[in-house]
Amino acid sequence: MNPINKLLLTGICILSFHISSGQEYKFGKVSKAELEEQSYEADSTANAVILYDKKEVYYEYNPTVRWFLLITEVHRRVKLYNKNGFDYASDDFLLYKNERAEERMSDLKGFTYSLEGGKVIKTKLQKDGIFENEYSENYNQIKFTMPELKDNSVIEYKYKIISPFVYNIDRVVLQDQIPIKKLEVSIKTPEYFNFKKHTTGYLPIDLKETFSNGQFVYVPERTKAADVLKQGGGNVRGQSGFSSKYRGKQNVIDYKITTDNFSMSDIPAFKNEAYSGNINNYVSSVVYELQYTKFGSSIEDYATTWEEIIKKMYSRGDFGGELNKTNYYKEDIDQLVGGISDPIKKAGLIFGYVKQKMNWNGNYRATVQSGVRKAYKEGTGNVADINLMLTSMLNHVGVKANPVLVTSNQKVTSLFPTLGGFDYVITRVKLPNGNSIYLDATDKYGEPNVLPNRVIQGTARIIAENGKSQRLNLRPGKPSLNRSSLQYEIDTDGTIKGKSNMYHLDYLAHNFRDRFGIYDQKSHEKRILKKYEIDELINYEVKGANQLGKPVNERFEFVVEDQIEVIDNEMFFSPLLFLRNKENIFKSDDRRYPVDFGYGFSDVYMVNIKIPEGYQIAELPESGGFKLPDDLGSFSFNAKIVNGMIQISVTETINSALILPEYYPSIKEFYNKIIEKESDQVVLKKI
Amino acid sequence: MLKKILPYVVAVFVLYFSKTSAQEEVDLKFSSIDTTLLKDANAVVLSEDVQIEINAINSITVKNKRIVTVLNKYGRGYANSAEGYDPSIKIKKLEATVYDAYGKETKKYKKKDFKDRSRHDGISLMNDDRMLYFDYTPVDYPYTLVFESEVQKSSTAFITPWLPLLGYRLGVQKSSYTIVNNTDISIRYNETNFEGFPVQKDESDGQRKYTIDRMPSRLREVLSPSYRNTVPMVRATLNEFYLQGVKGAATDWKTMGKWQYDKLLTGRDELSQETINEVGKLTEGLTTKREKAKRIYEYVQGKTRYISVQLGVGGWMPFLASDVDRLGYGDCKALTNYTKALLDSQGILSYYTVVFANERRDIDPDFAAMQGNHVILNIPEEDEDIWLECTSQTAPFDFIGDFTDDRNVLVVTPDGGEIKRTKRYEPEENMLHTQATINLGADASMVAEIKRESKGLEYDWNNGIRFETPKDQKVYYKELWGYVNNLEINSLNFENDVDAITFNEEVKVSCRNYMKKVGSRLLVAPNAFSCDQSNLPKYEDRKMPLEISRGYVNTDEYIIHVPQGYTVSSVPDKKIIETEFGKYSWELEKIDDASLKFKRYLKIKDGTFPKEKYEEYRKFRADIKKIDKSKIVLKQL
Repeated sequence: MNPINKLLLTGICILSFHISSGQEYKFGKVSKAELEEQSYEADSTANAVILYDKKEVYYEYNPTVRWFLLITEVHRRVKLYNKNGFDYASDDFLLYKNERAEERMSDLKGFTYSLEGGKVIKTKLQKDGIFENEYSENYNQIKFTMPELKDNSVIEYKYKIISPFVYNIDRVVLQDQIPIKKLEVSIKTPEYFNFKKHTTGYLPIDLKETFSNGQFVYVPERTKAADVLKQGGGNVRGQSGFSSKYRGKQNVIDYKITTDNFSMSDIPAFKNEAYSGNINNYVSSVVYELQYTKFGSSIEDYATTWEEIIKKMYSRGDFGGELNKTNYYKEDIDQLVGGISDPIKKAGLIFGYVKQKMNWNGNYRATVQSGVRKAYKEGTGNVADINLMLTSMLNHVGVKANPVLVTSNQKVTSLFPTLGGFDYVITRVKLPNGNSIYLDATDKYGEPNVLPNRVIQGTARIIAENGKSQRLNLRPGKPSLNRSSLQYEIDTDGTIKGKSNMYHLDYLAHNFRDRFGIYDQKSHEKRILKKYEIDELINYEVKGANQLGKPVNERFEFVVEDQIEVIDNEMFFSPLLFLRNKENIFKSDDRRYPVDFGYGFSDVYMVNIKIPEGYQIAELPESGGFKLPDDLGSFSFNAKIVNGMIQISVTETINSALILPEYYPSIKEFYNKIIEKESDQVVLKKI
Repeated sequence: MLKKILPYVVAVFVLYFSKTSAQEEVDLKFSSIDTTLLKDANAVVLSEDVQIEINAINSITVKNKRIVTVLNKYGRGYANSAEGYDPSIKIKKLEATVYDAYGKETKKYKKKDFKDRSRHDGISLMNDDRMLYFDYTPVDYPYTLVFESEVQKSSTAFITPWLPLLGYRLGVQKSSYTIVNNTDISIRYNETNFEGFPVQKDESDGQRKYTIDRMPSRLREVLSPSYRNTVPMVRATLNEFYLQGVKGAATDWKTMGKWQYDKLLTGRDELSQETINEVGKLTEGLTTKREKAKRIYEYVQGKTRYISVQLGVGGWMPFLASDVDRLGYGDCKALTNYTKALLDSQGILSYYTVVFANERRDIDPDFAAMQGNHVILNIPEEDEDIWLECTSQTAPFDFIGDFTDDRNVLVVTPDGGEIKRTKRYEPEENMLHTQATINLGADASMVAEIKRESKGLEYDWNNGIRFETPKDQKVYYKELWGYVNNLEINSLNFENDVDAITFNEEVKVSCRNYMKKVGSRLLVAPNAFSCDQSNLPKYEDRKMPLEISRGYVNTDEYIIHVPQGYTVSSVPDKKIIETEFGKYSWELEKIDDASLKFKRYLKIKDGTFPKEKYEEYRKFRADIKKIDKSKIVLKQL
């Protein structure tokens, strides 16, 4: 039944009234003052500024298809102070399409305004400045570029996107690469579509909610239009079967509209920083997620509680349904684990088998793409194909396993229960002793509880079949360890010869494998020579790179010639040689969002130095240490003389994967001090 | 900031490979591959066969069969997965089959399984290039992909070249290339870099075939000539051809240029009387050609910007000058043609010039065919020609930088084409001079004022910083002098003299701990702002010549004030290194008890040297690097 038909059962007339909002920025009317302006007050270095950014999203009833369409109107006015801002005179946007329907663009209009001898010259954006491209399988792209630009020109454009995908309101992004002087957004949703919203980013967002009424005339007629209605979204159902009872009748239908308004001024430009993790979470925006649809008394929940989500998820063919299929692998798996009873052994075998057999095609999605059966046959699939298959296999052999829904680091974290918020799924195994193990078989180097950054830098939620769900922190509890030792001796001419032995553990081993796992000997040597700037590398050896669960061990011998400063009768050098931190990884003066290292880590260095014949130790760096506040990290440096050898031990630890912006000055200073301390000099004097 | 590569040649610069089936069976088993081909390789071309049939002036068939064994994920790019097309290209056959290491078929893609997608060049607002492609996620390595295609092209100006050694870390078991000419149109061939490669050539009636066998994989080496100049290539061209529906004929650069002038440029330079008058007024009172040209160039820079649109023959033919005048934008062809039209209107002769931009590459003087990927403007002068980069809003007049310097270009004149060489920047022209006053504090701190002056290519390399945001500018200097820990950038001031082509930076910095306290002494590196940071690898067995693509001269002069209560214990001797690659000196001089003067000189000459010289050059730079960071001791009085 068409959802709108359901309304007729309760159709009562209410007078509608119109709310109009005050407009300071009328399209086509650019003031002289705007053209004369030479720089932006709040940030005089800006090459361009968005003077006005307006976005209106609303639903419009279309009598022809007898269904709503989602309309987005954009109006933007941009000031270009100079040529370096001219990039902002071109813009583009994407139009979604699938096999059934597509978004359309209409009414793209634009003008360039310039001041010439005190006169405002207005040039229209013509057809020859507008281009349509096919961007990808699911998107077309409209690009346009404004004509006749001069320094201090103002450009202005507006367009409309008409979307049949009424269940999806695009994320409203409130920040750009250039500042925005004035931003106004209004989102109007009829009572039939109910969204939950949450915000991201560090800017305060002031949202005002108002209510009004709308009205449309519904003419039910039995036509093929029912198919058109289905365009409304991938998961609309029950729209067939128009009742003949209403044929030819007109019905005036009133409905309530909720309007969300937010208005902001002088929004600073968004800057990308190092170690950002999931940057999507830090750009200021409002995210709309469909919660339920309500046509009369017929309510369909899309997201209410996690329990609802779970039920839905398990009832979906492309998720729960895939978990129940077993026959495609049954024979192989039974053979694989035949005769083994230890659940941990079985889990290990199956995890290894899926990792080896299946190849991730790079696609993120919480639901299957080709389906587990086909994926299994072909050996490739998306995240859900692979990890749902893994979950199913584990359960099949009696190892208790559940899927874990994840929002990866490619997507905005979902705060409310919603299906659309997830784009990834991994597997949890519950051991008989109550412990949990997390597995991701898309990662060839994955180990139990060692997951790729795309997962740990996201957020996760477990679903158990009993209907309980809980949010999970998948980040490792302990910092991962790098343990390095150097043993070296110094020639009288200042040449250093020595051995290095390094162990990378846990996540640092994973990181090594992920980046260099398939390197050949030559590539490793090249990498070490480049990274450490040593003059000669001898007998480089790596062990454990392909033995998951073990540390990665690198050993090599080295010769370095330029680490020692010989002045008169003395030698000066930093004892950590090429292992010392030389440059601060944080260069910005301030930071608005967290530092995300992925996981905590600890670098431990042990150095033994044999001093040359005929020299004695004149100076040794002082031992000491310092800490980051709140136990976020620590550093210690110890120097001593043992049996005539210099012994240095250094430990650098970051305990927390995430460092909040208020600690940014502390961590920057922490690294400054580390660099300073590690450059302290040993002085050897000729006897 | 000239970094805009312009798709002068947009269509079909994708390498596609074809092959006919009448060939010996290729063994697809991994174990059959000769281990010498596997060494250092990410992929091995088991066999490649390109068959080109010229059927008519407007019809070429290219058949391709390429069999590639992919050894690891880095080798995936060497297995074909796409065929490009545009309205002038018809894909008649397309097929790909995947085999496992044992030669067993695991997956097959028929033409209908390929997806159809627009090809973005990442630059253009619009182009009409498309491709058919498939997504294959490798199930296991190694695997072998057999790719077969047949395309028919109505544009015959470009004939797919033969580049059997497509890239680094690729072994080639066998590759062949055949051209069959079924027409009376003469065909010209161009063979490059055959020396030292076992290329076989067979020729019979209207047919020519090249073959190469058993070529091991090659590794990239730093400071080596561009890849293309080191591997064999065959190009072919017809004396009569079609280009996107436009008929052409050429036998040498003169006739090629003539055709381009007549068919692609003529009649596209009309301007309204109003514009001509405006430009006339603009140049009023100016006497020399150079002055007038400069004024007009600056007018174009002020009025236009670069936007790329490439459709059909528009990939080669500029938009109308009047359109650029109206819209204020265009691509390299359009902006060059527009500038030329404006110059013409004032009686200044200039020529549309086709060039390979960015990585230095010559238009081959011996092979007249469609070449180049960018367009600039040439104004002939008695002594030295003027060259204009018309896509930049910020480049100084007659300054092409390293984007198009020192290379052979095609100058298109009404009388025909002519090969000229663009400006070469001598090492002495590319100058960076750094002056600094450094105040050292007894607490190990440093406060300094630095002035840098850049000219020539140094201007090109350094002036871009003025376009960055203040935050990024600070980060830039912190990275430039990254070896100085905790450097604070206190103020920045830039002066860009576009007439003198000089860029001046004034940077004030401070640093809490520039010196190292050692007991009662202070350790300090006098060279604070010009430490060589190169890190050249050693090669046990270097294969490629050493190529230093551009020379330069860097000079430094600092006045260093020693902290109160300290003195320099001893001033090291002057250090000089002179090699055939250039000259370096480091010199410290005591002015008085409280101050020192530091001087540094570095000249690097450009040139190509035999491979044996690489190690000498590496040593030269390593020595410089070591001296650059050398420290002196300050003693407490």
